Amino acid sequence: MEVIQQYRAYRPRPLKGEERGKVKIVYGGLTWKHERLIQGALENAGYKAEPLPEIKRADLDIGKELIDTGACCPTTFTAGNLARFLKEKSEREGREGVKEGYVFVTIGACGPCRFGQYHESYERVLENLDFKDFRMFLLDLLQMEQNEGGLEITMPLTFGLVYSMFLGDLMTDMEYAIRPYEVIPGETDKVLKESIELIYDRLKNRPSRGKKWGSLLWHVTTPYFVKVLKEVRELWDKVEVDRLRVKPRVKITGEFWLQTHEGDGNYNIKRWLEQEGAEVIPPPIAVWMDYLIYLSLWKMEESREFVEKFWLKKAVIKLLLNLYHFTYNRLRKALNNIPNTLPPQEELRSLAKPYFHHFLAGGEGYMLIGKALYAHLNKHAHMICELSPYGCMPNTMSIGAMQAVLGKYPDLLYAPIEIKGDAEVHALSRCQMILTEAKKRAQREFEEALERTGLSVEDIRNYEDERPELRKATYKVPHYGYAGTSANYVMHVAKLMGRV
Amino acid sequence: MPFISLFKRRTAEGGELKKDRSHIRVGIPKFLNVWSTHRFWIGFLKALGIPAKNIVFSSDTSEEQFREYGKGRIGMDSCYPVKVLAGHIGELLTTKKLDIILAPMVYSLPSFLRGHVVDTLSCTRVPMSVENIKAGFLKECNEFEKHGVKFVNPFVSFAEPHLLPKQLYESLKDALDVSYEEVERAVKKGLEELKRFDSEMRKKTREILEWCAQNNHPCILILARPYHMDPGIGHEIDVEFQSLGYPVVWGQYLPTDKDLMDWLFGAEIEAGIIKSPFDISDVWTSSYSSNTNEIIWGAKFAARFPWITAVVRLSSYECGMDQPTYTPVQKIVEYSGTLYFKFGDLDETRPSGSIRIRVETIDYYVKKYSPHIIERKLKRLEERKVPEGFGVIPPPRNASTST
Ligand code: SF4
Ligand code: SF4
Repeated sequence: MEVIQQYRAYRPRPLKGEERGKVKIVYGGLTWKHERLIQGALENAGYKAEPLPEIKRADLDIGKELIDTGACCPTTFTAGNLARFLKEKSEREGREGVKEGYVFVTIGACGPCRFGQYHESYERVLENLDFKDFRMFLLDLLQMEQNEGGLEITMPLTFGLVYSMFLGDLMTDMEYAIRPYEVIPGETDKVLKESIELIYDRLKNRPSRGKKWGSLLWHVTTPYFVKVLKEVRELWDKVEVDRLRVKPRVKITGEFWLQTHEGDGNYNIKRWLEQEGAEVIPPPIAVWMDYLIYLSLWKMEESREFVEKFWLKKAVIKLLLNLYHFTYNRLRKALNNIPNTLPPQEELRSLAKPYFHHFLAGGEGYMLIGKALYAHLNKHAHMICELSPYGCMPNTMSIGAMQAVLGKYPDLLYAPIEIKGDAEVHALSRCQMILTEAKKRAQREFEEALERTGLSVEDIRNYEDERPELRKATYKVPHYGYAGTSANYVMHVAKLMGRV
Repeated sequence: MPFISLFKRRTAEGGELKKDRSHIRVGIPKFLNVWSTHRFWIGFLKALGIPAKNIVFSSDTSEEQFREYGKGRIGMDSCYPVKVLAGHIGELLTTKKLDIILAPMVYSLPSFLRGHVVDTLSCTRVPMSVENIKAGFLKECNEFEKHGVKFVNPFVSFAEPHLLPKQLYESLKDALDVSYEEVERAVKKGLEELKRFDSEMRKKTREILEWCAQNNHPCILILARPYHMDPGIGHEIDVEFQSLGYPVVWGQYLPTDKDLMDWLFGAEIEAGIIKSPFDISDVWTSSYSSNTNEIIWGAKFAARFPWITAVVRLSSYECGMDQPTYTPVQKIVEYSGTLYFKFGDLDETRPSGSIRIRVETIDYYVKKYSPHIIERKLKRLEERKVPEGFGVIPPPRNASTST
């Protein structure tokens, strides 16, 4: 070994301005819906883009082989996924083609847990596959700048990404609220696909209003996306649902990647729950951004005496938050408010306060406890399914803190599921036991609603015949204090009939 | 507390204690980052009028401690250093007759690496562990109340020292009946104590390193988290090496004096590779975590300092923070020709037999290769000014220049 040699970290070759539009940007980690919409946003900004292939069980084994031992399961899965992509692509396009034709872009910041160090594991992948000259760029959430003009984070691109996130979330909410009740099996998935393609197309072809203020103003005020969603709503209008199916509502919480994911990476647990007869409440990504903005607001409030122009800065963040919620709700409204609202962070924080300090950042922070209590106390769900990755640092900590919560609220149905990749049967059977209890609760609620209203299922069916719009997927059933969709529906019909 | 900032300036200096606290007994679990901040807590509590004899730490971690006081208190799987906190708190609660248990949630740390790193955060498990383990003492009934003990767990961010008075006041005002000004003065005292302790330790390490240089003696650097100094967590591997006659130094307390830094890092700063001796961006691009940053820096130090001929890395079972660092640290060390050994997956079991065998093997390699390593590393520093105290001895003649 050469004496004077010192180790230096991986540095990617720069991506030059002239390479834009030639080199493909590869990214991943979200649902196929979000990823397709991000593709639209990137293409609108003049990039070629392609999401990584769908995560498979095999990725875990590939990842384990290539990176240092002891990684959390999202790191291992995503590292393995990148490796499989590189291998498969080079088989088809040759190594040179892959090295020159693609760059991998990943979020690299957020600090406290391993999330901020994911790229170290990706580097092991590049190193062990002899792909050191393949380019991988980190997008720091707070410093979105990249070198040499090849990756330029402009206003239209940023807004495109934010809208992709919002729209992906809303469509996911639609999907999970409707599929368990669809009358014709498979219709939800079909309409969902059409909707995503339609939105993708509009995101991609959104008009250009310059790179700065014009773009800002347009994105903040435009009815463009509301119009797109109105078209989408027409597609969903045609889906017929049967809300008299009694189903427990299961809220998914947990580590960010794992709860968002839809695939082998979390045993496909959302689909599995649906097959087991549940209605799933999926976690929107928009909650995460909301949480980050609130955290920065509270941090600033804590040190208000040391912050220059505190009131001005606070007003700006508040304005940003208002705009954020306003836009999200405006889009929800275009879908007749079928997608859920974002949970109020202030309330989540205060619910979690006796158990978890709100500045303990990492994983879901206080949200893990806050969301579970919020859903339970407001009767939004019968059961909480909490997904924790094997080897996760922060999530295991908040799960431990849940012990005290469960001591105080023993009737909260809580299923913490550890995802290891190879312990599927064990995890799912644990979940099933709690689901059985949740089913009983949903059934009891439903019967109680029938009793309260004096209605029978047949009465409701007859009434539906008179008012067929009730069976539209986009018909909004208000919340009457029951967790279950069917119980609320009974109440609603009774109200329409003048019974309550 | 909107008006605190107005009168805090008036009363920040001097001032009497609001009340007599000489009878209050405060217990602190000896866990995680208390290992690197304990001097602060002692100084802080003393300044609030609590006599040293009434500041009680839990014992070192041991299997017995956990079995006796901690079992059944934790509802999840975790790394060993977190798990054992239950034993520390249980021990304090059951055996020490305390008024208060103070288990700080150390969110960020004071670090000499500030400036060229992004942040100095603790591992997320470090502050969170307190809320986690606390839950184990609350789930059936409030065990603290039962024992007449107040449990306080302030959120503390040492990286923002200006926030410490507020954070500590909020959490201690009821338990200790303190005023904001008292807390502010006490924080100042605590930070001074910590700084003094820290620089004393660095001075001591420098003396050891100078001795190694003067005697041309190899030295072993331990790279680990501060709590690996706890015999129950680090299994006294450092002591094993000492008993074989090696001076052992810990990464946390390496000297940072300018002359030494110029000698080791000067050439790279002049070449524009790094901005300062404390810049680790050439080897580690995501510098958020204080302990991790310091481990990385320690590896860089070892890679350049001639008489550190071997680095011994300690890491606990299921440590998520260490995981991404294994390869980079090994490479930083080995690229320079320095020997690297790792004791990974340390947990409660302490196979002293196998530790001994490994230590003996390492001893064999260190003895065999140290002269070459020292000579080669010295060669690299040939052109630079040797700092005082390191009067360099010419390497033995028969040492070769390549491996
Ligand atoms: S939150 Fe947990 S699972 Fe996610 S990256 Fe961090 S350690 Fe891994
Ligand atoms: S740094 Fe590692 S050993 Fe320490 S608390 Fe975090 S995960 Fe556990």
